[in-house]
Amino acid sequence: MGVEPPSYGPQQVLDEYIVEPASIPWRQGRIAGITFKCQILSDGADGGPEALRFRFDPSPSVFAHMHLTSQFQLLLHGRMDFPKSAMKLRGIAVHYTDHNLPYGPFAVADDHDMLVLHPKQGGLISMADHDARRQINLRGRQLHGAAADTEWIHLPGFENVRSKPLISPASGPYAVMIEYPPRAVVKLPHAPYGRYEVVLAGSAWVSGRELLAPGLRYVPGHKRVVSLEAGQDGATLMLLAFDQDAREGGLTGEGLSVAAAAAIERAI
Amino acid sequence: MDYTVTPLPVVVFADFICPYSYIALDQMEDLTRDYNVELLWRPHWLHPEVPPTGAAMPAQAAPEERRERTLAWLREMAPERAARMRFPDKLQFSLFAFEALEFAQDRGLVLPFKTAVFEALWIEGRDIGQFSTLQDAADKVGLDREELGRALSRQSYRNRVHDALQLARNAGVTKTPTFVLGSYRIAGWHYYEVFQTVMEKQGVPLRAVLGDPRAARER
Repeated sequence: MGVEPPSYGPQQVLDEYIVEPASIPWRQGRIAGITFKCQILSDGADGGPEALRFRFDPSPSVFAHMHLTSQFQLLLHGRMDFPKSAMKLRGIAVHYTDHNLPYGPFAVADDHDMLVLHPKQGGLISMADHDARRQINLRGRQLHGAAADTEWIHLPGFENVRSKPLISPASGPYAVMIEYPPRAVVKLPHAPYGRYEVVLAGSAWVSGRELLAPGLRYVPGHKRVVSLEAGQDGATLMLLAFDQDAREGGLTGEGLSVAAAAAIERAI
Repeated sequence: MDYTVTPLPVVVFADFICPYSYIALDQMEDLTRDYNVELLWRPHWLHPEVPPTGAAMPAQAAPEERRERTLAWLREMAPERAARMRFPDKLQFSLFAFEALEFAQDRGLVLPFKTAVFEALWIEGRDIGQFSTLQDAADKVGLDREELGRALSRQSYRNRVHDALQLARNAGVTKTPTFVLGSYRIAGWHYYEVFQTVMEKQGVPLRAVLGDPRAARER
């Protein structure tokens, strides 16, 4: 049994989704000859976020595919190489794609560990499906950035806080790594299209729960953002914010999305 | 624009040394077979720093691993082509081949000639930085090899090639292949179905629908 099947009726999205991966079981997966372990961090069945964690076994070629919603891949550890482009990701790194934008094949190696983060259920479509290729998002964006390639910037007016913009906010969707000192209160702006906040190091308190790496919170668009507090050793967070593309696509119960929902169900 | 009468211009900016440009050959053949398009191959020089004798591949941690990954990618996207491809052991010099392309253009044989040059490199494993390779390709498509040899020696097409390369830069081309299909641009190799979608969005009908005998088959 994989993720919960999508519900297409009116849904009640929560104000925030808090996930502690340590409490979630791992399951074995296999698709197209590729083996992996997976955690379902948030299944998106209520119309909220779909968040998965994957550890792929080394593979020279993970098949080309796309998802029907926006996606951040947050590479926590290991390597992902995309032969056709200059993208050679080494954790910590981020790879963003708009809905219906294919990527891959790509190679994975070196104790791969990755979060796959969607604003809603996105399904899975192999690009071996010729009909699906007719629904590729021709204006789709693909963005990426790596922590090792980005310099820290001290934030003016915030003592002992520094950040790394892996994907600049000027791009639309953004990925910004921020390091906070112990006990700092983290007030974040509204996230009009939804935002993941992932603990990369240290810990963060939110709504009475202490999140350790790679714990996360997701704040849906237009929901009130409650402050976080850095733990006693400080906190390094990755903020991953969507833009208007997050409202596109998804599992609608029609056409391609039926196949996409079935494929992710089979995979995990 | 009535594309039943006027062909849609399709420009492919490519470099012979790019494997992704090579596997785009089939797609462009299918496109010309299926739609009323006017195909034009233009150069985009990926490695102008390479001398005529070629250059060692850029230093990388694991070149064999990288080659294997590229091959894995090609096998998924173009299995028939990938099965026959031979990867060169050095970066080759493209400029003479671009000049030869202009020579073929003037003689109405640019499309078969560009295919012959690609295959010399990627199938036969030959060095396109050598005149003899380009002359053999010319032979295959009915061009005069001696005349081509003289044109290359005299650099008769050098200025035209530089103008064409400047055109690519001015057009903002940064990767190969880059396709300009009417008002759409696709940077990098893509699925044939994407080109079909772009044709439909611009109202270019299938030749088969028009009863055009050049539509050898329907996809």
